[in-house]
Order: sequence, then structure tokens, then C-alpha cells
Amino acid sequence: MPDSLTAPHVLEYPYTRSTGEVIGRFFTGLKERRILGARTTEGHVLVPPQEYDPETGAELSDLIEVGETGVVTTWTWIAEPRPKHLLQKPFAFALVKLDGADTAMLHMVDTGDPSVMHTGMRVRVRWASDLIGDITDIACFEPEVA
Amino acid sequence: MSNRVAVIGVGQTKYASKRPDVSIAGLLREAAQRALDDAGLTYADIDAVVIGKAPDMFEGVMMPELYLADALGANGKPIMRVHTAGSVGGSTAIVASHLVEAGIHERVLTVAFEKQSESDAMWALTVRPPFQPSTVGGAGGYFAPYIRAYMRRSGAPADTGMRTVVKDRLNALKNPYAHLHQPDITLEQVAASPMLWDPIRYAETCPSSDGACAMVLASESAAAKAPGKPAWVHGTAMRSEPTMFAGRDQVNPQAGQDCARDVYKAAGITNPRKEIDCAEIYVPFSWFEAMWMENLGIAPLGEGWKMVQEGATGMDGDFPVNMSGGVLSSNPIGASGMIRYAEAAMQVRGTAGEHQLDGVRKAMGHAYGGGSQFFSMWIVGSEKP
Repeated sequence: MPDSLTAPHVLEYPYTRSTGEVIGRFFTGLKERRILGARTTEGHVLVPPQEYDPETGAELSDLIEVGETGVVTTWTWIAEPRPKHLLQKPFAFALVKLDGADTAMLHMVDTGDPSVMHTGMRVRVRWASDLIGDITDIACFEPEVA
Repeated sequence: MSNRVAVIGVGQTKYASKRPDVSIAGLLREAAQRALDDAGLTYADIDAVVIGKAPDMFEGVMMPELYLADALGANGKPIMRVHTAGSVGGSTAIVASHLVEAGIHERVLTVAFEKQSESDAMWALTVRPPFQPSTVGGAGGYFAPYIRAYMRRSGAPADTGMRTVVKDRLNALKNPYAHLHQPDITLEQVAASPMLWDPIRYAETCPSSDGACAMVLASESAAAKAPGKPAWVHGTAMRSEPTMFAGRDQVNPQAGQDCARDVYKAAGITNPRKEIDCAEIYVPFSWFEAMWMENLGIAPLGEGWKMVQEGATGMDGDFPVNMSGGVLSSNPIGASGMIRYAEAAMQVRGTAGEHQLDGVRKAMGHAYGGGSQFFSMWIVGSEKP
């Protein structure tokens, strides 16, 4: 059977994205070291905020500031980070529910040691040195210790 | 038809080059909310959502139906997406109407959209996959040879396309949602614009627009409760044919002829030029008005251009086409077909405002897409079918 021909096909396009007002305010807040959540008509606070209530579809525009401390609701340990991971040392991916929020946000926790990690642990934001209005303005979370 | 279907709500965004103030979800939401307001409904009243947009690569959003479910209030309800290239806005409305016609749902929200400012449709259409030809320079480059073939076959005067553009852009002045408002447009101005793909000049092409269009389709009992006058769906039809088959006629595609015959039959129409009061036809490049008049059997073969030259497709002609200004005045690609359908519905509902014609009883919405390979059409009426 003869070999069939193959050829590489690489596509690149310059797309743009507009955040809309709600997500735009969230990113702008990060530049000011403020974390904003969206309050639903039922009074739940979604962090990160969403433009529309996933439950009811209602438009959300009531943004309130939540704490930069919170609690780990679940986590998984990355013992050997890959080159594209944002932390180049062992860390945890975790869902963090910030104080004042009703939903948890996926981010990273840097404890240096998996034995320190536990569900229910208190953590605090470690801000990036350069704030650019991106989710990476939160460099990671670290244990909230005095 | 099994169960009667009516359009009870229409919503459009103001078409514009750029809507940087809203996300893609926010753009759809604007049209959807207006359609719900028109129908006197809220998201809670909707049974299912059907959306349509141009191919994924145009905007780089894979499976937008996942991302858009909450913005369109689809939590706990069916949401689905229809794909038929440029005709998608029309086919999307037809799929939505069939869900009602089949008796499955009472009220279906259908939305079509495109945010061209965040995409690159021109280059998405210029992909050259290995072992295949490129479509070369976007849709205009693809269609120009077929327009030249039409000119050769029919002997149409060279200014036919330009007349369509001037007519559509002047109509657009009466449509507050139209993207292009060019009050001073003249034949001389169009003739002086740069030639892009011979014989298509720059002024003879559609703009790149951001925008969304939405409709609420309802059963007979739901339509009875609607605050406004419904537009009744009298017939729907879709046809397709393969892109690359060398034997097909892209000047007068068989799929378009068959689709038209089918939709007339469904609507009980035997003399379309006489029985249809007006039409919104997908004309992204000027010459397609003349070409589609023949393909749709409105004009005899080889004589579509005469309708344009004689002014038959003008607002005061015997078969007005694109009262809204058409695709030549607004082109959010995925939405463009649905806008044709919605504008046809507005004409029979009497809600088209300044571009409303008097006494419209039956109107046609038309869309085509791909390499003139997907066709979708509907006929709506002021009275129940």
C-alpha cells in the first residue's frame, strides 16, 4: 500500500475580545488590588463576577468588593510543574472562596509543602508586582498567617 | 404545515463597525431582550433557544452555545446552534420555527449574531488547506467570476449592480438600525470607488458589522396572547448542494431554484411576483439582486437586471426588495439572514417604521451561504395560513 501524502497546516488569526462592562470592571479592580463580585437578585455573590445569572439569566450589574482572604474548598497538588505552569515550584491548584463570596474561584496556592495544604485552610492573595488588569494580577494565594 | 407558527417579537441591535462596549454575550442579549420586550415576555416564558452564527473561525469562538447559555436564559432548557455558513441566520429561524410547528414548544427564542470587529472573516475565508484551492481574498473574490458569467449570459448593462447599491443605501436611510447611512450616495460616486474584484467595486460590497437579531416564534395559542400583531409563517424551505462539484451552476444554482419552488408551494403561491408584496433578499454584493430575481423565478431567465434597471425592486416598484437597506447596508454575517426574515415579518406586522410599505400581506425572507450552496427561505403573512 503506498504512503498517503500529508502536509502541515498551521493557522493563526488575530482575534480581539471585548470584556463587556461587568468583566471589564473586575479586571480594572484587580489593577487597584480590589476583587469584585457580582450580587445576584437572590443575594448571592459570584466571584469572579458573571454578566448574567447562571441560575435565572438575569442581567448582573451590582458589583461589590469582597475580601482578599478566603478559604480553600478543595485542592490538588502539582508536585512537578510543567514549563507553562505559572509557578515554577510545587504548588496546589485550589478552589478558593473569598470572604464575602458565595462561589469559589480556581487559582493557585503556594505553600511550598503539600503537608500544609488542607481543605478549609485560610489563604490570602499574593499580588503580582506589576498589575496589568488580568487574572494573573493575583500571583497566587498563600497561607493566611499572622 | 402541522401547527401554525407566528413571529410575535423582533429585536435588533444598531449595526455598527464596532461595539467595543459589549461582550459577544452582551450583544446577543441586547437583541434578545428587545425581542422579548416586543413579545411581552421574559426569559422564563421561553421553552428553547436556537442560535446561529457564521463559521467558528470567523470569530474564534468554539461552540458559542456553551458560553451563551446563561446570557440567553437557557439554564435548564434546550439550546442548540445551527450551522449553514452565510445563510445561517435564515436556517436558524427555520429550525426554531419547526420546533413550534412540530408541536414540541410553545415559544422559542432564536438569535443570530456576528461581531466582525473581533474576528477576521476575510482571512478566515482565505484559508488554503493543503491539497485544496484557496477561496482567494474572501467572499468577493469567490463570487466575482460568477457575476462576470452572469453579465456575459444576460447582457446586463454594466451599471446594474451600482443601481442596486444606490437603491439599497437610500432605503437604509429610513432604517435606524442600518449600519451605513450615506445620504449623498450617487451612481457616479459608486462608479468612482476602487475596483476590488472586477466587476465588484468597493461601494458595491457589504460592510463589516457588529450586530445581532432575535425573534420569538410562537404557537397559535401563544400568539393569541401576544400584545402585538403576529407575522404568520406560511412556508419555510432549505436546500443545499456541494461546493466543489464542477458541474453545478453557481450563477443560477439548482438548490436556489428548488428552494424557491418549495417555499412557494408551502405558502400556496403560484405567481410569486404578483402574490408576494415585498422581499428581503440576501444581496452581499450588488449584482446578486439581479441574479437572485432570476434564481427565485421572480424575473424570467436573463431578465433579472431589467427589474433593477426599471426600478421594479425599489420602494415604489411592483416587487420591492430590501426595504431595510439589505446586506449591502448592514452585514453582521451570522445575523444577516435572520435580519432578512425579521424585516419580512416586520413588513407584514406593519412595524417597519419609516421603511414600512403600505398594505403588505405576504413578504419573503431569503438567505444564501457558502459558495452559493446553502439556501433558506420563508414566507410570512399578515393573516393565518
